[in-house]
Amino acid sequence: MNNLVFGLIAVLSLFAFFKLSKVKASSKQLNRDNRINRFGSSKNKNENIIEGEAEEITDEEKKDA
Amino acid sequence: MSKHAAINTFGRSANPAFTKNFGNTYGDIPVAERMTLDGAVNKTGILLSLCFGGAFIGWNIPQLMFPAMLIGFVLALVTIFRSPAKAGSTAPLYALSQGIFLGGITMFFEAQFPGIAMQALALTFGILATLLVCYKSGLILPTQNFRLMLVSAIGGIMLLYIVNFVMSFFGSTLSFLTSNSPMSIGISLIITGVAALSLVLDFDFIEEGAEKGLPKYMEWYGAFSLMVTLIWLYLEILRLLAKIRSR
Repeated sequence: MNNLVFGLIAVLSLFAFFKLSKVKASSKQLNRDNRINRFGSSKNKNENIIEGEAEEITDEEKKDA
Repeated sequence: MSKHAAINTFGRSANPAFTKNFGNTYGDIPVAERMTLDGAVNKTGILLSLCFGGAFIGWNIPQLMFPAMLIGFVLALVTIFRSPAKAGSTAPLYALSQGIFLGGITMFFEAQFPGIAMQALALTFGILATLLVCYKSGLILPTQNFRLMLVSAIGGIMLLYIVNFVMSFFGSTLSFLTSNSPMSIGISLIITGVAALSLVLDFDFIEEGAEKGLPKYMEWYGAFSLMVTLIWLYLEILRLLAKIRSR
């Protein structure tokens, strides 16, 4: 009887695993800043470098602004 | 020279050590040749089937247990350190050989403690499904610190195993690792916990790999890493249950 119960648990868990693993993880899991970055960022969500010609801003210009 | 002037003069760095972490190295792979979640799950299914097939052989011919364990160990090292790209050919062989080993060792445990195999199997797959739900729902959020903590813990555990293995040649073992004392059971529980949490890292690896569109062979590599953790978890649960039942 015990073997039957444990066998059933094993089969059901395996079924749940195969069903669930094909579902994409929740946005709470995917859209966060502290994710492990193993392969480099493909989207660079936090990119703060603006492409183009860089201009040097002097201290005087900063004060004017 | 200011930062902006340096960028204008020399351009962005082409140093692979920097581009590896900051650039998109996988963007030019055709869609059909990219890793997918479905592909990784299907391959995990193939590896699990092979492992069960191997376990059937190992259960009936336990003499194959130790050669299979050695072959599996070598194949794991080759897959991890030499050629992750060839995981498609090494991972199935690894699953089969480790299945033979697990079948043999489970047969010995089952002879001593009837019913232990099914309990260990149910617990292993139960933990697998539960942690997957926790990961997918965002209940467990693996971070860089989480990974560092787990890797350090796994390093410590492996060191203990190696010391225990070396000591066994001199007729002695680390009693807190092998006996059935409360301390040994506690340590076994901690090791099982670490093995279980390692599953979260594997789920995250597969999820991130599919998201970033890694090459197709990484599906095999992801499935392989999940199998390595599952086999470790099963063995730890088997040992833990045996310790508890031998008291």
